[in-house]
Amino acid sequence: MSHETTTAGGLQRPALQTETPNYDDAFDAVVVGAGLAGTAAALTMARDGLDVLMLERGPAPGTKNVFGGVLYTPTIRELVDIDGAPLERYIAEKRFSILSSDGDETAMSMRPGAWRDDPHNDSYTVLRRRFDEWFAKQAVEAGVTLVTETTVTGLLRDGGAIVGVTTDRPDGEIHAPVVVLAEGANSLVTEGADLKERPEREEVAVSVKEVFKLDRDTIDDRFRLDGDAGAAYQYFGEGAVGEAVGGGFVYTNKRSVSVGVVYRVEDAAAGQTPEATLDAFESHPAVAPLIRGGRRIEYSAHVVPEGGARAMPDLVHDGAVVVGDAAGLVLNSGVHLEGTNMAVESGYHAGKAIAAALADGRSDAEALAAYARDLDQSFVVENLRHYDWFQRTIAADRQFLFEDLPRALASAETEYFKMDRTSKDEHTGAARDHLVAAAGGWFGAAKRAWRFRRMLS
Amino acid sequence: MSTAQPHVPDVSIEDRLYTVKYRDAGESHLGVENPDVCADCTTNECTSVCPAAVWTVDPDGDGVPSIAYENCLECGTCRYGCPYDNVEWTYPKTGGGVVFKQG
Repeated sequence: MSHETTTAGGLQRPALQTETPNYDDAFDAVVVGAGLAGTAAALTMARDGLDVLMLERGPAPGTKNVFGGVLYTPTIRELVDIDGAPLERYIAEKRFSILSSDGDETAMSMRPGAWRDDPHNDSYTVLRRRFDEWFAKQAVEAGVTLVTETTVTGLLRDGGAIVGVTTDRPDGEIHAPVVVLAEGANSLVTEGADLKERPEREEVAVSVKEVFKLDRDTIDDRFRLDGDAGAAYQYFGEGAVGEAVGGGFVYTNKRSVSVGVVYRVEDAAAGQTPEATLDAFESHPAVAPLIRGGRRIEYSAHVVPEGGARAMPDLVHDGAVVVGDAAGLVLNSGVHLEGTNMAVESGYHAGKAIAAALADGRSDAEALAAYARDLDQSFVVENLRHYDWFQRTIAADRQFLFEDLPRALASAETEYFKMDRTSKDEHTGAARDHLVAAAGGWFGAAKRAWRFRRMLS
Repeated sequence: MSTAQPHVPDVSIEDRLYTVKYRDAGESHLGVENPDVCADCTTNECTSVCPAAVWTVDPDGDGVPSIAYENCLECGTCRYGCPYDNVEWTYPKTGGGVVFKQG
């Protein structure tokens, strides 16, 4: 297929893009991918005095990147002044909602006053195209050389050690002491070099997302927001993702709303298509009014590695490290959906470890091992380990969590608040019966409470 | 609930893909490793997992999917969707492919 024609695209590039002859052996480190992890690594190394080359396959950083919508900034804040960053809104409200496929919704909303105060719990909606480009620009200003429209096609080896990359550019071999693999969830180079096995299908989710344009006042009114306040809505249940295991989301940007679903590729392969799943979610009576009248301005999709701690590959090799999504650093605990913070944290630790190793004139795995150690001791791996049980547990209890519970909650609510001439006492009893029956009796309810206790611990 | 009415008008995959910006790489970055595997496949997971209608199998054809690579969102789902690991998936070359404006 496309392998034998690597120069065809290169010949059509503007002269500027092909005049990149002196990169071979000119840098201390090559970073593959200018996303959050790669840029954090590049920036950290440049600040420590290294010459860094960052390669991005898209026409600009961010052009290939998709996420749900919330960027967590505790580490980014340490690296750059985020006051000038293209942030959309801070998260003033988190709302967790269970949807049945009959149109029922049961939700819990939280708006702690503290989130309204700077730095807003370090949680902001962003659009990746704008944010990633800005973040990469901070790295360039710190001395990183960024080359776009250049795809890394493989790794160069000398003996067992990695000594650089091959690219799709003419004469595109670039030797460097260390390679940072920050290529994202589809880690073709890392897998191609046998540094990582391709994740199992059960450990990968697909997300489809749409951005709807709405004017600022409409968003403020619909979501009860003011100023730069924003909302993060997460949805569970059959009304969110049908027969699949996963969830839906709605996030407010300044003048647009991001809407999407994430669920197991396994479920899509069984026949529930991403498009139909998104259609059903957007049509749910609890969701449709939020986006009514909005103009679709972008449809996007991406896989999400959800294998947790057990699926993490070796992070350190002779001459290379793996960071961000390529290393499977995504947390989905149902309540917490995180990845951007972990990407930046991993890039930061990798950059620090590389700078220290190169200062000793080394780039072997043993010298770079501080990265794996530091990440292991950070919140990143700690959290992944803590919630490792989660995906398997919900998958095993899907029928209850996604179908029976949303309906039972709605039936109980209907019963509990029912207006007729029956006593409240009788209504309360009937409401309780709905919940207890759905949970499999009192014994079943106790068992499930025990099984899911760690969700809030 | 009896009042559950879809509020969102019908939207086709064409409408959705129309919102996406692409740079044509001029050649497909996708393929199948072994067409015989596709010919024997009856489940066609590639067609159901793809969010962008890249993969279609003609029911009267030889079972080998046709690939509208120019629709591809580069999400990677087909790599995992195919139970036979028969999807050949590479990155589009030199800046080609999808160019997200929002992301």
